[in-house]
Amino acid sequence: MENNNEVLLRVEHLCQYFKMGRKELKAVDDVSFEVKKGEVFGLVGESGCGKTTTGRSIIKLYDITSGDIYFKGQRICAGTRSYRDAIAAAKKAFRSEAKALRASAKEDPAKAEEVVAQIAEKRKALQAVIDENKRKIASANYDHKNCDRAYAATLLEELKGEYAPKFAAAEGDEEALKKLRGEYRKKCAVARKTKLITRIQMIFQDPIASLNPRMTVREIVSEGLVINGIRDKAYIDEKVYEMLELVGLVREHAGRYPHEFSGGQRQRIGIARSVIMRPDMIIADEPISALDVSIQAQVINLLNDLREKLGLTILFIAHDLSVVKYFSDRIGVMYFGKMVELASSDEIFAHPLHPYTRSLLSAIPLPDPHYEKQRTRITYNPIAEHDYSTDKPSLREVCPGHFVYCNDAEEQKYRSELGL
Amino acid sequence: MADNILQVKNLKISFRTVSGTVKAVRDISFNLQRGETLAIVGESGSGKSVTSKAILGILAGNAIIEGGEILYDGKDLLRIGEDDMHKIRGDKISMIFQDPLSSLDPIVKIGKQITEAMLLKNKANRRAGRREFNAMLAALEAHMVEAAGRENEEKVAEIKRLVKLFDSFNIEALRLESAYNEAYTQAEELIADIEDFLFRVEHRQKLDVRGRLVAFGKKLALVSDPFLTSGFEDRTAEMAALLREQVNAIGDKFEFARAYLRKLIGKESTSEVSAEVVGTLERLKGLLGEIVSRARPNFFRIGYCKLSGQDISLAGRTVEELNEFALAYLEEHFMREFFGLATAGLGHSFAAALEGKREVVAAAEKVRTFFRGEFTRKEAKALYRELVACVDRSIDRLEPIKDSVAYTFRTSFRSAIARYFFYKKNNPKEEARFARQTRRRDALIAKGKTVDWKVVPKVVMDLDGEIENILSVYERLAKKYEAEIAAAEQVDLNEKCYALIDFFKDKASQVVYRVTKRMAREKAIKLMDEVGIPEPRIRFYQYPFEFSGGMRQRIVIAIALAANPDILICDEPTTALDVTIQAQILELINKLKAERNLSVIFITHDLGVVANMADKIAVMYAGKIVEYGTADDVFYDPRHPYTWALLSSMPDLDTDEKLDAIPGTPPNMIYPPKGDAFAERNKYALKIDFEEQPPMFRVSDTHYAATWLLHPDAPKVPVPKAITDRIARMKKLVGGKDGK
Repeated sequence: MENNNEVLLRVEHLCQYFKMGRKELKAVDDVSFEVKKGEVFGLVGESGCGKTTTGRSIIKLYDITSGDIYFKGQRICAGTRSYRDAIAAAKKAFRSEAKALRASAKEDPAKAEEVVAQIAEKRKALQAVIDENKRKIASANYDHKNCDRAYAATLLEELKGEYAPKFAAAEGDEEALKKLRGEYRKKCAVARKTKLITRIQMIFQDPIASLNPRMTVREIVSEGLVINGIRDKAYIDEKVYEMLELVGLVREHAGRYPHEFSGGQRQRIGIARSVIMRPDMIIADEPISALDVSIQAQVINLLNDLREKLGLTILFIAHDLSVVKYFSDRIGVMYFGKMVELASSDEIFAHPLHPYTRSLLSAIPLPDPHYEKQRTRITYNPIAEHDYSTDKPSLREVCPGHFVYCNDAEEQKYRSELGL
Repeated sequence: MADNILQVKNLKISFRTVSGTVKAVRDISFNLQRGETLAIVGESGSGKSVTSKAILGILAGNAIIEGGEILYDGKDLLRIGEDDMHKIRGDKISMIFQDPLSSLDPIVKIGKQITEAMLLKNKANRRAGRREFNAMLAALEAHMVEAAGRENEEKVAEIKRLVKLFDSFNIEALRLESAYNEAYTQAEELIADIEDFLFRVEHRQKLDVRGRLVAFGKKLALVSDPFLTSGFEDRTAEMAALLREQVNAIGDKFEFARAYLRKLIGKESTSEVSAEVVGTLERLKGLLGEIVSRARPNFFRIGYCKLSGQDISLAGRTVEELNEFALAYLEEHFMREFFGLATAGLGHSFAAALEGKREVVAAAEKVRTFFRGEFTRKEAKALYRELVACVDRSIDRLEPIKDSVAYTFRTSFRSAIARYFFYKKNNPKEEARFARQTRRRDALIAKGKTVDWKVVPKVVMDLDGEIENILSVYERLAKKYEAEIAAAEQVDLNEKCYALIDFFKDKASQVVYRVTKRMAREKAIKLMDEVGIPEPRIRFYQYPFEFSGGMRQRIVIAIALAANPDILICDEPTTALDVTIQAQILELINKLKAERNLSVIFITHDLGVVANMADKIAVMYAGKIVEYGTADDVFYDPRHPYTWALLSSMPDLDTDEKLDAIPGTPPNMIYPPKGDAFAERNKYALKIDFEEQPPMFRVSDTHYAATWLLHPDAPKVPVPKAITDRIARMKKLVGGKDGK
């Protein structure tokens, strides 16, 4: 793939918590990564580790708890929990400090005045922290709600720029001007409705459950366009046919219903539906795990072709490591809501560092009896493997482009393993 | 010779649907050996699940079994009734289903789902055990009498006395044993209860300490059996006293209840249990552990001693000494004589059966000429009767393991003959109908009308084929008998007699083994522990939704293993799971298979999964087995293009080039293709593949494949490069590991 370093999607400290009765489930906990333009980023992990939640959070199916997601440089999602926590922590610190100061004043009455002054100073500092965080919360909320508006505004701006010379050229010719104005108005209407998030599309896991059984293929595939305000039937049909042919179906299929297709064809419909919006990025959430073996290869080949033809960026979520290895440029390994290792796919398979990645790699079954009889599975027990009681871990870059979730001691160990 | 536990022969199954008859399974045969794993690989719709469901007799209502047989334990599973099937399904053959989500009842607690079958099956097992015991003993007696000579009245009376004695002391032994078992399980339960109590104390959960202690005291009183607790009387009495003391220390019942309530209402913690109580319970647990771990008396011997008025108390001797004494006594006064007579009886029965076998084998020529020539239904019936009587004589009823081929001969033979006559009568009719309809259709077309109906294809069977079928049923038996007659010299009657007595003991213990709800619970918890579920005591009371996918699948495995089956059918057990869990489940199945000598049928579409599991692999496509061989055969020397495609269509860790996807989709099985079903999607297809179905070509003794490419006249097609590359690469990898 072309090797440019333009970052298309940046996820920073993403947290997604779900309320479970009184407790909270940390489905995704402080995950950060970048997806570069034109690459395939694979996300692997066992079920329940939060990889699907990450995908869904990015596409704004959930309101994220904390963290920021930037798409094309624009903040599209923002959570406020971290700021609130910062305010609460600052308040608590202030309270305990003030208490200690007052206690010392009681012991030594001479200091009383000094203490009062100190407390006032501290209170001021606290207020500053609170104001700062409140400002951030307001900005996050604004971005979270209005990112689409901003995007629509830029689109309108672009349209204006595009049509201004045209209007100037057609000056005087009433007929042409009228036509141009009509066109411009229509395009503006579409642009106003366009949401930034439609530049990211999703392919779902289960091709049977994700297609509405009461809609024809034409309706399913064109739905995105219709929602976006396009009313031109001929244009829509043309687009639908183009997409169907692109994914290896034929025009005649447009009038049929999903139940008339086999599993692989249904997944192709799902893919057509997502590429018709000409997205910059596709989130493929286990697109092949519900398919038959012989069909899986067909769909993988199709995705590969599309990626070359349309220059797509793909966030590929899967649990089948062989497929991820084959398909992705970079791979992120998730474990219980945390990103534990992130590197290019060759690197991660050649030098897995985190013990969980190792256990995951050692569990891949290969079609070779002699190899299988020798294969020993490494088990991963987080409690036994790590001692994070004093030294807190974080995601660190152990060597260029290779990130591992570890603490200082482990970082040293990993570095020495790599021979650095 | 390998021991085939399950044989599937020429199985054909189809489904009636609105749009036509779907031929799901088209003539497949395979054998499953004891302790072996057979993997059936294929994509969805290839008929692999249908086959396994047919074995369990749980096909959908619209299924038609068109032919074939499934032999297991002297029965043809396709021909027995639902009542007989009940005894096999779940008990002898059990199944792990694909989707753990839908195979567990969402509104029933896990514990209940595991114990349900145990409780239901237990009663039926006890009855069946008693019945089999009696039948076998009666047969043995009859043969013993025959062997000794019927006219020798004195001897016959002696035999009758001995057999009666055998029966009654077996029952006496059962009585003693059941009392012992009762006390033993009480002790085990008490240990479990104490563990539970201590676990709760450790985790600071709320506890009714006094109530529990009283219950422990009551239960301790029940742990009393002369064989279990002798020698421990003082210590148990002491522990009982200690328990009582502690209950008293906690105080009066009502006072305690009031205090407990107060604590419940208030925020005060009730979890504080005094160290003394914990200490006492730990000591009690230790004592019970000692009691339980003591050697088990041999009740079979002791039962006899008791019956003949010997001293069987444990006073002044250990369990081992008692066992020794009882053995010597039994040997002296009963067993030597009985054993001699029983061996004679066995010999007699064996000789009689051998004679019958010779007769069956001798009839071969006659049967062959009869069926090859002209015959009427009446004549066939007469021969059938004669043969069946002959086979009946040839079955050794004193053989504890039933011989499937001989026992099912009657039904198979009868249905084969019936089939022949059915088609003999029906073929001309069918031909006439087909000709008539075709004529009508042609006439209509000739008139220039549009015809919107098709002529239903004719179902005409080749009568010679049917005759061969009849003969093959007979010859299969004859061949087996020939081998057995040849091996008759080496049969050790003494060994057989030991096996028979073991069988009696086994059945007797089956009769006495009573499962209570609590026992079932303990067994279920043990099982949950065995399949690797942490904290089974808490998990036991949870609902399926509280488990993760992998844990749920483990529960399903635990349920399948609850009845201790012979055969385990795994229908895609790991498809819904991710790699780490998948690896764990596969290891678990492998481990259990080794421990329990299970035979496993493993159904999957992932060849990678199979590599470590399977001894033999059957690759299925469109209802037929296209390749069959050992794991090494199929992985290192695949012959069928479909196997090639399966092996090369999935990327492994070193694949870089474009994948070899299999184009198209599997054929519609309402109209199965005339030739090789895979021809449409096969880039190596020959012309003949579209016209005629390939037979199974033999590659080696263990390896067969159904493709025309193996025909001597076929062009040589090399194995795809992706596969040879991979094999070479893996070899290097494996070799490299060896080198270290």
